[in-house]
Amino acid sequence: MPSIANGLRSNGAWAGAALVAAAAVAPLALNEYYQSFLLQVFLVIALAQAWNLISGMTGYVSFGHSAFFGLGAYAGALFLTWGFPWWLAVFHGAVVAAVLSLPLGMLTLRLRGPYFAIAMLGLNEIGRIVATLWVDLTNGGSGITLAPSLLPSLEMEYFTTLMLALGATLLVAFIHRNRFGLELRAIREDEEAAEMVGVNTTLNKVVAFVLSAVIPGAVGAVSVMYTSFINPNSAFAHTRNVEMIVVVLFGGSGTVWGPIVGAAIIMILREMLWAEFPEVHLALLGVLLVVVVLYLPGGIVSLARRDRRRRPDIAKAGETPP
Amino acid sequence: MKRRLLLSALLSFLIIFVISPVVGYAQDIVVGASVALTGKYARTGQEQLQGFQMWVDEVNARGGLLGRKVALKYYDDESKPETGAKLYEKLITDDKVDLLIGPYSSDVTMAASTVAEKYNFPMVSSGASATQIWERGYKNIFGLYTLAETYMNPILDFAKSKGLHKIALIYENTEFPRAIASGVKSKAKQLGMNVVFEEEYGKASTDFSSMIIKIKSKKPDMVIGGSYLPDSVAFMRQAKENRLYAKIFAFAVGPALPDFGKNLGLDAEGVMGNTMFESTLKLPGVKEFAEKYHAKYGHEPGYHAAGGYGAGQVLEAAVKKAGSLDHDKVRAALFSLDTVTTFGHFKVDSTGRQIGKTGYAVQWINGNREIILPPDAATAKPVYPFKDWGKR
Amino acid sequence: MELLEPDILLQLLIGGLLAGALYALLACGLNLVFGVMRVINLAHAELMLIGAFGSYVLYAAFGIHPLISLFLIVPVMFVAGYYFQRVLIERVVGRPMLDSLLATYGVAIILINIGLLVFTADFKSVPVLQGSFAIGDIPISEPRAVAGLISVALTVGVYLFLERTRLGKAIRAVSEHAQVASICGIDVRKIRMLAFGLASAMAAAAGVMLSVIYSFWPGSGIDFIQKCFAIIIIGGMGNFVGAFYGGVLLGVVESFVGAFVSTQWGEAMAYLLLVAVLLIRPTGLKGAARA
Repeated sequence: MPSIANGLRSNGAWAGAALVAAAAVAPLALNEYYQSFLLQVFLVIALAQAWNLISGMTGYVSFGHSAFFGLGAYAGALFLTWGFPWWLAVFHGAVVAAVLSLPLGMLTLRLRGPYFAIAMLGLNEIGRIVATLWVDLTNGGSGITLAPSLLPSLEMEYFTTLMLALGATLLVAFIHRNRFGLELRAIREDEEAAEMVGVNTTLNKVVAFVLSAVIPGAVGAVSVMYTSFINPNSAFAHTRNVEMIVVVLFGGSGTVWGPIVGAAIIMILREMLWAEFPEVHLALLGVLLVVVVLYLPGGIVSLARRDRRRRPDIAKAGETPP
Repeated sequence: MKRRLLLSALLSFLIIFVISPVVGYAQDIVVGASVALTGKYARTGQEQLQGFQMWVDEVNARGGLLGRKVALKYYDDESKPETGAKLYEKLITDDKVDLLIGPYSSDVTMAASTVAEKYNFPMVSSGASATQIWERGYKNIFGLYTLAETYMNPILDFAKSKGLHKIALIYENTEFPRAIASGVKSKAKQLGMNVVFEEEYGKASTDFSSMIIKIKSKKPDMVIGGSYLPDSVAFMRQAKENRLYAKIFAFAVGPALPDFGKNLGLDAEGVMGNTMFESTLKLPGVKEFAEKYHAKYGHEPGYHAAGGYGAGQVLEAAVKKAGSLDHDKVRAALFSLDTVTTFGHFKVDSTGRQIGKTGYAVQWINGNREIILPPDAATAKPVYPFKDWGKR
Repeated sequence: MELLEPDILLQLLIGGLLAGALYALLACGLNLVFGVMRVINLAHAELMLIGAFGSYVLYAAFGIHPLISLFLIVPVMFVAGYYFQRVLIERVVGRPMLDSLLATYGVAIILINIGLLVFTADFKSVPVLQGSFAIGDIPISEPRAVAGLISVALTVGVYLFLERTRLGKAIRAVSEHAQVASICGIDVRKIRMLAFGLASAMAAAAGVMLSVIYSFWPGSGIDFIQKCFAIIIIGGMGNFVGAFYGGVLLGVVESFVGAFVSTQWGEAMAYLLLVAVLLIRPTGLKGAARA
């Protein structure tokens, strides 16, 4: 086991390329069911990477990134019903999320710690409320069903989600290595100090926020094409946000591989348990959450490291949390 | 070290699960469905499932379908449309079921029927009644229920005959309740009655006090709710607390269920509702079904249970008529089928929408649900007007 | 417009105050925990539901009136919370906020699903105290009046305990500054256990009150916890009195908006207020909590 893990670490890029290649040819070998399972894994990976980007890197814990998923989903669904081709609808989902995330980020990122987390939670709820009450646009609580004739084929959806997962991962990997990523981590460690050494914290945070909103926007739009239905509760589901957090934490927060490993393991576990034992499956997810937080703060990925250091976004000992 | 062990254990556990062969039903005819076992529609979903299961047991006792045993494959859709859609995708592509029964509630059906349409797979629905489902040009969704738009018509006719004309209309903001509301509005217009108050509420609402105070100020003659069970119970309870009075209280779904009386006790008295089935109906097999159901599950069947059972009977009749499980043949059989099940008459138009089934109005009288309308099926005369809270 | 009649306005106000009192009892407990240990307990609403289901079971199985079960459930939940803090919550105290949020969220998921296994997803209610009495021409819901008044009494009781007793003062001292309190010889760990026990008892009491007003099921917690978030943001995080005012304010606002606009807007107010307050005054209306 350790040798595989070490291999992954030292030859991450090769391992990644192999995985992508395998995923690209998988539809030839797999039936629709396994394709749609993988598709969902890709969706979760993309979402988790988005959350990783803002929360794992800057330490601004968002409890409401599902808001951008919902925005993208509605934008995608609406553009599709207005006659745009599906790929343009996906693009629109991303654009709408980006455009709205800019002012929202500028407002909410002034807040710190729990205030930011809760503000984001409120934002998601407001998204749900708008979708419910703006009946003329969204059809309110009844939601929007997309006619099968409007939808892309499963293969198309598969490759689109694969590209999204890949894109999100590469983005995180890229940021991880360059100066921007360094500055984000500086903000996470000590925002005042970062500012003092000349990091433009506001700009950095807002850029990270917008990037982390674009991905869920596009994911939402593809996702609505996959389920062919959307209503306010499914678009702005609080559980989706929790899923992102659990996946990132379980895999390893602030790392490139964490969200991928976390998504794979959790999705497989869920697939095995979910349909047959809905309550047990969720309760197990709860147990998993508690166990990971208490005993495995670096996530699964940290098991592969020799030093198994603590989660990188953890505050230094002795520091009082906000 | 300990952690590495933990990881290895976890991984081997995963691998064993993934490669372990899926237990199949090689010889059986598998009927797939998603059922609301948790979430808002859980109560009605369970009843419906028990109806399916009774049909499966009985059809197997009769020697099965086309000489093969029938098995039911179902999952919990958590009362959520998006979960329902995923589950039908799974049932069709992974479990490769032979026949499909629809989920409970119009909004889950809206989503699920799109999946069925995508795979061109006929689906018999015993849990949905919003007209919109059949207005999308789909060829694979067949309803058993009376259309939601017509639910309140007998009660509105009755109200008109008593000279009532001010209606307060409230409904949940989802597909089926909205369909009821639009039916009430057009019927009221036709009868020359006025909707003096109208408001939607959210799916999770349990507090109606502010709404009730507002309704009170409009002094309606009758209150009509496009509701399910929990909201209709909460509304009546709070209507009493706030002393809202009207000559008729009528709600969808809730009053047709035994739980309505169980939760409200005496306060259920006089509330009207609608149903598509009562065990007192004079249809073939109703009495036997009700007795067997009671013996098996310990309570009397509501219309959701009978609907589930009826959906099975419709599938059975269609497959027999088609003589095969081929989707095109089953679809053709469903379109041309004209039969009477325990649940009632089944006949659909060219969109798959139900046109044969009649609906009934019920009222809680002396702690029992009695059919009051139409008169030929009635078991009791309507009690009118609603007794004021203070005089009970 | 008929709604502007004084009778109706008064009825809305009373209804809002009574509902708000229940929110306040719940939110004060949440804020007490946040104040003392800087942990946002996402399982707080599930602790409330334990109280509600406790009340339901005692009523359904033994016919015990909820007002009597209150005296059984509250002490039990105090003890349970006291030890639960030591077993689990203590481990995340002083760690980053995300850890405590996730650990308590995990607990919430576990509790909800155990609830679903035991009680199913059916809505339960405790049919006592149905009906209303009238003051003048204004009908007042009997269960809500009882629940509201008891909630106020309990919240004020806890407040007096915090203000007047030695132990209460120790809790406040820890809340003000844990390190200084520790230097002054206060057993900070004990205080944290005490505070969590107290908060659990308050949540459970709110649950018993809830059981006589609403129908509930194991998933009912989410609406309440989100409203509580709004309340503690409005009142200031960690601020006990602020949470009380915040709760009452939310109840009244919901009641009036529910009547003058619509119930759906009423339910939206919590979030609109939350975001508005955060953007205008990030530390809450009651002024600076230690952020």
